[in-house]
Amino acid sequence: MPVRLEITLKPELFDAEGESIRRKARDYFNIHLDAVRTIHVLTIDAQLSDEQLEAARHRIFTNPVSQVSSFKPLATSFDWAIWVGFRPGVRDNPGSTAVEAVEDLLKVKFQAEEAVYTSKLYLLHSERLGRGTRGRKAVERIAGELLANDLIQQWRIYSADDWDPDEGIGIIVPKVRLAHQPSVATLSISSDEELERLSQERNLALHHRDIPVIRSYFLRSDVRAARSRVGLSDPTDVELEYISQARSDHCNHNTFRGKFFYRDLSTNQTEVVDNLFKTCIEGPTLTLQKEKDWVISVLWDNAGVGRFDQDTYYVITGETHNSPSNMEAYGGALTGIVGVYRDPMGTGKGSRLIAGTYGYCVGYRDYRGPLKPHLHPRRLLDGVIEGVRDGGNKSGIPTPYGQVFFDHGYMGKCLVFVTAIGLMPAIVADTPSEEKTTTAGDLIIMCGGRVGKDGIHGVTASSEIYSEHTPAGHVQIGDPYTQKKMHDFLLEARDEGLIAFLTDNGGGGLSSSIGESARFSGGALVELEKVPLKYEGLDLWEIWVSESQERMTIAVKPHHLERFMQLSDKHGVESTVIGQYTDNGKLHITSEGKSCAYVDLALLESGFPQWEFEAEWMEPKYRGLREPVLGPPADQRRILLKLLSRPNICSKEWIVRQYDHEVQGTSVIKHLVGVERDVPNDAVVLRPRLDSLRGLATAQALNPTYSRIDAYHMAGCTIDETVRRLLAVGGSLQHLGGVDNFCWPNIQYHPETNPDGKLKAAQLVRANWALRDYCLGFSIPLLSGKDSMYVDGNLEGDFGERHKVSGLETLQFTGTSVVEDVRRCVTMDVKAAGDFLYVIGLTRDELGGSEYYDLFGYTGLNVPQVRLEEVLPVYRALEEVISGELLASVHGIYRGGLGVHLALVAMAGGLGLEVELAKVPVEGIKHADSLLYSESAGRFIVTVAPEDTSEFEERFKGLPLGCIGRVTDKGKLTVRDLGGSVFFNVGLRQLKSAWKKPFGKL
Amino acid sequence: MMQKNNNISRPAYRNGSSPKALVLTGYGLNCDWETTYAFELAGAEAHRIHINQLLMGEKLGEVARLEDYQILAFIGGFSWGDDHGAGVVLATRLLYNMGEELLAFIESGNLVIGICNGFQALVNLGLLPGLDGDYRSRQVALIWNDCGSFRDQWVNLQVQKDSPCVFTKGLDHLELSIRHGEGKFYAEKPVINRLLEDNQVVLRYADSEGNPANGRFPENPNGSLEDIAGVCDPTGRVFGLMPHPEAFNHWTNHPNWTRQKENYRRRGEPYPQEGYGIQVFRNAVEYFK
Repeated sequence: MPVRLEITLKPELFDAEGESIRRKARDYFNIHLDAVRTIHVLTIDAQLSDEQLEAARHRIFTNPVSQVSSFKPLATSFDWAIWVGFRPGVRDNPGSTAVEAVEDLLKVKFQAEEAVYTSKLYLLHSERLGRGTRGRKAVERIAGELLANDLIQQWRIYSADDWDPDEGIGIIVPKVRLAHQPSVATLSISSDEELERLSQERNLALHHRDIPVIRSYFLRSDVRAARSRVGLSDPTDVELEYISQARSDHCNHNTFRGKFFYRDLSTNQTEVVDNLFKTCIEGPTLTLQKEKDWVISVLWDNAGVGRFDQDTYYVITGETHNSPSNMEAYGGALTGIVGVYRDPMGTGKGSRLIAGTYGYCVGYRDYRGPLKPHLHPRRLLDGVIEGVRDGGNKSGIPTPYGQVFFDHGYMGKCLVFVTAIGLMPAIVADTPSEEKTTTAGDLIIMCGGRVGKDGIHGVTASSEIYSEHTPAGHVQIGDPYTQKKMHDFLLEARDEGLIAFLTDNGGGGLSSSIGESARFSGGALVELEKVPLKYEGLDLWEIWVSESQERMTIAVKPHHLERFMQLSDKHGVESTVIGQYTDNGKLHITSEGKSCAYVDLALLESGFPQWEFEAEWMEPKYRGLREPVLGPPADQRRILLKLLSRPNICSKEWIVRQYDHEVQGTSVIKHLVGVERDVPNDAVVLRPRLDSLRGLATAQALNPTYSRIDAYHMAGCTIDETVRRLLAVGGSLQHLGGVDNFCWPNIQYHPETNPDGKLKAAQLVRANWALRDYCLGFSIPLLSGKDSMYVDGNLEGDFGERHKVSGLETLQFTGTSVVEDVRRCVTMDVKAAGDFLYVIGLTRDELGGSEYYDLFGYTGLNVPQVRLEEVLPVYRALEEVISGELLASVHGIYRGGLGVHLALVAMAGGLGLEVELAKVPVEGIKHADSLLYSESAGRFIVTVAPEDTSEFEERFKGLPLGCIGRVTDKGKLTVRDLGGSVFFNVGLRQLKSAWKKPFGKL
Repeated sequence: MMQKNNNISRPAYRNGSSPKALVLTGYGLNCDWETTYAFELAGAEAHRIHINQLLMGEKLGEVARLEDYQILAFIGGFSWGDDHGAGVVLATRLLYNMGEELLAFIESGNLVIGICNGFQALVNLGLLPGLDGDYRSRQVALIWNDCGSFRDQWVNLQVQKDSPCVFTKGLDHLELSIRHGEGKFYAEKPVINRLLEDNQVVLRYADSEGNPANGRFPENPNGSLEDIAGVCDPTGRVFGLMPHPEAFNHWTNHPNWTRQKENYRRRGEPYPQEGYGIQVFRNAVEYFK
């Protein structure tokens, strides 16, 4: 008999969780509650005696100092109650640890069908709400839009009037029951149409151009003969699912490897661009790898590898997890960050995670318009913040840096960028750590979590536009605890030389990890019945492609198996031998000795047609873009305060503080700096080896609004911004590593559903050209990168009509650099009154796509451009003066322009500035407001101690440099206009309160 | 000012005369590397030991014995994901598998430190606050921060000079980072009073002048009663604290070090190297001299 244990805080104690729900109900929905109390519910479905249950209640689940608990309902007085629990099959992390704890305490073993399920009961007190229909409506809103997401959770609402004090919520057991006899289906390939139909019916998302290739393979006589020898004829569902996963855009990057017919409509010139990946990513990176001996391993493994010091490498990659996060923000983002951590873990023979970073692009938090996205941007952002928080914090990996960008376009689909950095010794058990391979005879081991229905068709879903028909089954919840144990275990196994090959199970599950690792040995034999399952009833194809998280696939030599398993036990990790690598060229899958797949590995490497896209570019001026006719504003002071309080500029400290950015003890330059430790620095620096003074700097940038004008310059400015961010802390031009993450709306033209597809395709080509040009120009090898297409959504409006909403063309660029001695690092906050204030770099009339124009609803035309020949000498000089310790503060000028960034450096230092705009180096600028808010690339604000100015200025001879004023102790920002008279004056306190106001109370 | 060599030197072990520190790892604990490093920097011989090496070492071929050590460190992290209360499951596992050994370890004059999750484990084990020598019952709790979420920030700490705590000897003020969701120190009034009277309250959240925060946020980041950030047992040999001394292992960990550096540089003074948090570990090492 299952029992229900309820636990709650003693009534006299403050309920922080309840209070936060009360506050959100008020702030989000204007629903006023007097108090909310939470009750934690454990439903224990196991054969335990009363004494055993009582022991568990008393010894594990109840803190005698702070809590009370009972197997009877605890709820007494309330107006409304909401119960929220998981749907069957959704990962319940606390439920699993409860099982572990009970087993440990009672020395019992739970049977396969026994479990503990956690859920929560919220007691709402509100005099104003009433217990009638109006009250119920409000409570339903709280349940559905704040507490639960119907994709993964179920809820029940009780009014005090219909509450049964003896039964309470009753006993709810969300056990998975699959009344399904697992089987293998054979699918007909009688015609292309038939296969196309099956593909749609089974959600395989096969590209129609792939279908003839797949059919002709299975129709080949030699293939049929070989298949019949293992008892197979037409393709099985396991095989087609395998091919579908491997051919998906997510795994195979068909878009980036596609052929673009690019036409410039302004000149009518045409060009065929064959394979963006090869020409703009792989080519430049290979060229740079030859020049830079610090580039250790790129373009083939789960992540790229660069040298940190003589005997240590760092490993980096970046991912997006947009579609799942868009539907279930917390679970999607958590799965995303925990998932990207497995990439460095699975690079070479494995690396130890040392940092994660984030980037969120969402709709405006205060959106009040008619469109109805699945999750309101506010809720979505809360969810992704918390998902990445739990994923990073619970993994013991610092999250030192991140960014957030708001734009209406991300209402269609949000972007969640997650980046992971690892560290590994250059040599592992006498072999190079970055090398690995599988060899025939190696055992295939699956390690970590078990397999369930979760995540099935995640990969193919992220290759599609979100619609009401998108299967929700691919939403899942990451489990950092299980993964942390596996991480610690695999590193020990690595150091003992037990790992021949490892890779993670992410998109595509075993299908991808085994499919790809088998290419090294030349084959694999997998016995699917050995794969440990969460519950019975899965079809074999589901086991094969399930994306259940926290799993790695490892190749282990048979003579290492015993020790490998011993270490696995030590760390409380489940590892299972599920097959063996072979060299017969086949992927052979069996179940109970019966074949269910037998495919040539070579099938995926040849014969599939390239995807093709039509790309049409038209110069922005021909697309109707113009510079606005905008006279200078009279109230400059108020404009600055207004800009500082805009969502893309204002303080986001509330997010940064939720992330543990100091675990591992490596923090050198934190994201928030300054006297009050609240202003974001350009980049962060870690000292990943505690016994060394060497540092690893990292930063990220994105500037999607420039794509409204030209994605070439969007990409150029984004790369330039990343470079400047790294240089500003003390990074070096000699070592710049890059990670490109493209997120793009659908580029496949369709006259009705995607009429501007050709322009979006041209923008993608142009952004890639910029990537190529600037990576070569700045010498940035691309250590890793990913693309995620289909950033679109069809959202319901006020009248039931649907609107397609596409995200801006977005490139997030991540950079790394190595700092030789962290004690030379600098921060952006001004340091001392009396210091001289300089602007480095030219300001031009480049307000196109700027924050300033956006304030007035303009886009403009003059998008900022990066002139390599102009900025490179400046950057070299800057690097020298920083490493010579001549600068007291350094800060790049980014979104918002000079005005905003002067305010930031002053606020951070808690010191005033006297600024003469006439001294700023400019070209073609006529008005002070353009000068203050132009977003020209290549610029910095620096401060220099009086005794260092001559040496500093000497080094910048012939370069654009202006001494624009001084740091003061007056506590205000004073700006003189181009004529030298006081333009405006504003106090630091006022600046800071404007900047902190929008999100200050979160 | 600048060293050529990029390596930071550590004191060599003094042939068996250095105390041995056991840093407990596994099951989601995660401050093992830096805590081990901090002990080594302070002159201890520190080992990362997985919980299962203590509980089932023979089976694993990696036996570790508590009695071979003089210092036991319960470190930060999320043991068992912090589900069912931070540190609760870890405490249960240790209590019912090696509770007597832990008591014997303390009784024989050794040192125990619990940091963050380790502090939460110590109070759930009943090893803190150990009022009247009772090391078996839970008398205090660390519950959810009043602010409702996990928080990372640096805090000022006032050190109780009259406390018997071995780890804070000679210190009167500390700046350290806190990083937790469940750090609000709670106990019933009489217990709190006893702790204050007996000088078992070792650390209190303070303002930048060093005066207790009086519950003000964010100086007191979690709503702890009486601003309590760390307590010790009556002997001063068992110490638990929410802030992380091991994360202040180098001068550059401090959030304002680049500002301090400008002052040193302009005065022509050498830069410091060690972080002030190491003193906590050094006190433990010195205790055995």
